[in-house]
Amino acid sequence: MGRPGAVIEVDRNTPPTLFHFGEGVRLERLPLGSRVVYPPDPLPPIAHPERAIRRALAHPLDDDPLRSLLRPGMRLTIAFDDLSLPLPPMVQPDVRQLVLEEVIELAAEAGVEDVHLIVANSLHRRMTAEEIRHVVGDRVFTTFYPDRLYNHDAEDPEGNVFLGTTAMGEEVTLNRRAAESDLVVYVNLTLVPMDGGHKSLATGLGSYRSVRAHHTVHTLRNSRSYMHPPDSALHHACVRQGQLIEDAVRCFHIETAVNNHCFPALVNFMQKRETDWTGTDQAAYLALKQLTDLAPPSVKRAMFHSMRAPYGLTAVHAGQVDAVHERTLAAVERQMVVEVEGQTDIVTFGVPYLGPYNVNASMNPVLVVCMGLGYLFNLYRGRPVVRPGGVVILFHPCRYEFDSVQHPSYIDFYDEVLADTTDPAEIEARYERCFAEDPWYRQLYRRSYAYHGVHPFYAWYWAAHAMEYVGDVIVVGGERETVRRLGFKCASTLADALEMAEQTVGRHPSITHLRFPPLLLADVR
Amino acid sequence: MRFELLRDLELLRRGWYWGQVRPEWPEPREVTPGSPSLEWARSEPVRALRWLAQRGLSLPFTRLMTRPLVEGAVWLRDQDRSMILASNHVSHADTHVLLAALPDHVRERTVVGAAADYWYRRPWLGRLISFWLNTFPFARSGGAQGVLHSSSQLLRSGWHLLLYPEGTRSPDGRLQEFKPGVGHLAGEARVPVVPIHVQGTHRVMPKGRRVPLPAPVRVRIGKPIQPEPGETSRGFARRVERMVRELGNGSRSPEVVGSWIERWRATAPGGRSRPWAERTEPRDGE
Repeated sequence: MGRPGAVIEVDRNTPPTLFHFGEGVRLERLPLGSRVVYPPDPLPPIAHPERAIRRALAHPLDDDPLRSLLRPGMRLTIAFDDLSLPLPPMVQPDVRQLVLEEVIELAAEAGVEDVHLIVANSLHRRMTAEEIRHVVGDRVFTTFYPDRLYNHDAEDPEGNVFLGTTAMGEEVTLNRRAAESDLVVYVNLTLVPMDGGHKSLATGLGSYRSVRAHHTVHTLRNSRSYMHPPDSALHHACVRQGQLIEDAVRCFHIETAVNNHCFPALVNFMQKRETDWTGTDQAAYLALKQLTDLAPPSVKRAMFHSMRAPYGLTAVHAGQVDAVHERTLAAVERQMVVEVEGQTDIVTFGVPYLGPYNVNASMNPVLVVCMGLGYLFNLYRGRPVVRPGGVVILFHPCRYEFDSVQHPSYIDFYDEVLADTTDPAEIEARYERCFAEDPWYRQLYRRSYAYHGVHPFYAWYWAAHAMEYVGDVIVVGGERETVRRLGFKCASTLADALEMAEQTVGRHPSITHLRFPPLLLADVR
Repeated sequence: MRFELLRDLELLRRGWYWGQVRPEWPEPREVTPGSPSLEWARSEPVRALRWLAQRGLSLPFTRLMTRPLVEGAVWLRDQDRSMILASNHVSHADTHVLLAALPDHVRERTVVGAAADYWYRRPWLGRLISFWLNTFPFARSGGAQGVLHSSSQLLRSGWHLLLYPEGTRSPDGRLQEFKPGVGHLAGEARVPVVPIHVQGTHRVMPKGRRVPLPAPVRVRIGKPIQPEPGETSRGFARRVERMVRELGNGSRSPEVVGSWIERWRATAPGGRSRPWAERTEPRDGE
């Protein structure tokens, strides 16, 4: 059994602390008295995942066994989460592959001829054939690709149907194939508490029309946090949409959770607390640091993005969505939650090389904001780790660097929209619709491998709550011009950043460093 | 003198039907000079040497030049029973590409039908390609019964047979009419025929060119089929031709590429359900 998460106070014997720094890492000495929050060690994985999956399908929660729902002549649609989960991508076999193989085996035994598999990529970019093969495995891929295994197209006018409007006025659309199926099986992988549940279907197979209902500045500012669904307006909207879908289509949910073993053996030092580092870990750190200091960005990117995480399955549940999701969330929180006593004036963390929207691409400045002030800042329940008006210090090189294939609309968002204003509400009111309905972005989303035109707006809105809540944001090591465009301050060193922060929060501030990844969920008391 | 005697005997034999309706004897052609016995090409240690030559030279070179994209290899994965691989033919590169596309266990048991009047006209060339590609002389005209018999023997001995039922390379890349021999053979040996379509090799080495050029190639392998009761050889050959044509057109109809359940079962780990599984090992020699 691994150790639970911990909060360690920095004293004179505390070794320097690891900070992720984009496609690199660095060690920093935190001031004495600072707190470092460490995630729990990885939970032991289930020894026989296939057996656990078969058991879950045979004994679902509040639903009939999957075998009894399958019959010849029916239309079966199996949807599954896209490559934004897990991060980094898993070593093969991916958990989704194991689940899909069991579901498909049952369908074959039942003689269900009409089976389609759909990547629930929503407004994310399409997955390439090789990425799909990695997730579903060779056997599923060669059997179904490409005519029966494909990406969801949220902009296909014929491929989506309008199901109705919720009591709160949220519109609901769904992929036509799923909507016209006798049974939809959703295969999910929950990495953090915001994933899964009703959000899977409502968002994953939805269109701009349904996603825009809850991806708004207002909703996200009232989701405190969206990593804790009971307190998340975003999730409340998803639940209403999901219930409407469940009324229209027969759904069977399969949710899985994995532990936080997210780094391969070669760089396992990133997984460990610095006090646990061995000589080998120190040598590995040294080698990686020198390499990332010297290597050109393309080499670093190739190196980091080739990493595959040896995640282990910790939970698998199947059946009715609410019952399943409750159990899944419990498993995820068991892996992630760390109790933190009280808030802090300054919170620091490094932004790693990878977020949900830049798999096999560079992390552009807008995504740095999304990752730092969106996902990582919101990894709390109860209250944020930093006090209202406090300071967030991020570590990231924050270069003006965009992937023109995956993020074309991000380039224009940065160059045109952020040059005008950084206020999420104003951006939403003035620019969102224009980008969302741009025919060129729509074409790139449908035919190339680009994120939807509206996607940079959502990435920016993710940070709306943090922007409103904190007093200042300082990016250590960032490009000055770029950081200024984002509306933040730039510092060269941690010491400089702390001095700048004192101007906002006063002298002798309390400092807390969140040491992720691996991800943790701070339960602030 | 010995050869003169044989010639005289042949002439006598041609005149045997005096006073009756004379059958249409084909013109005698030196298609297989000396009627080379090619048993050596399928016996040890030649098989081991061929394995080394192919693995060391021709397969890496072919893969480097053509980067073959193979679809439908699932149909060959657990195929233990002998089968006829029937492909379209546009280039001398076809055989190399197809051998590179086959799974190892299938390639090592595959004999390639090579035009006797083209490849075996010169004995040294015949022996070279028999060694390198495991070919055997397939007469395109005349001696059909003999060829069918020897092909059938190969199939019964556990070998797979790669044939080009069009009979020759297509001059313009378009599929030509399939000859009925493939139907005869499938009916006589009672083996399945695997339709294959290879695309792109005309860019690698079109008819008339001697030096290959790099170009991407796609190989689509269809669901194995067998003659149905009452189906004529010609009718079956036409069916194979239609399937190869549909593979070339990118068809994904269950008739051509199988239903997903068939494909799923064909890839079952450990051969949980293999419709064609019927273990036969090739015997030494033939």
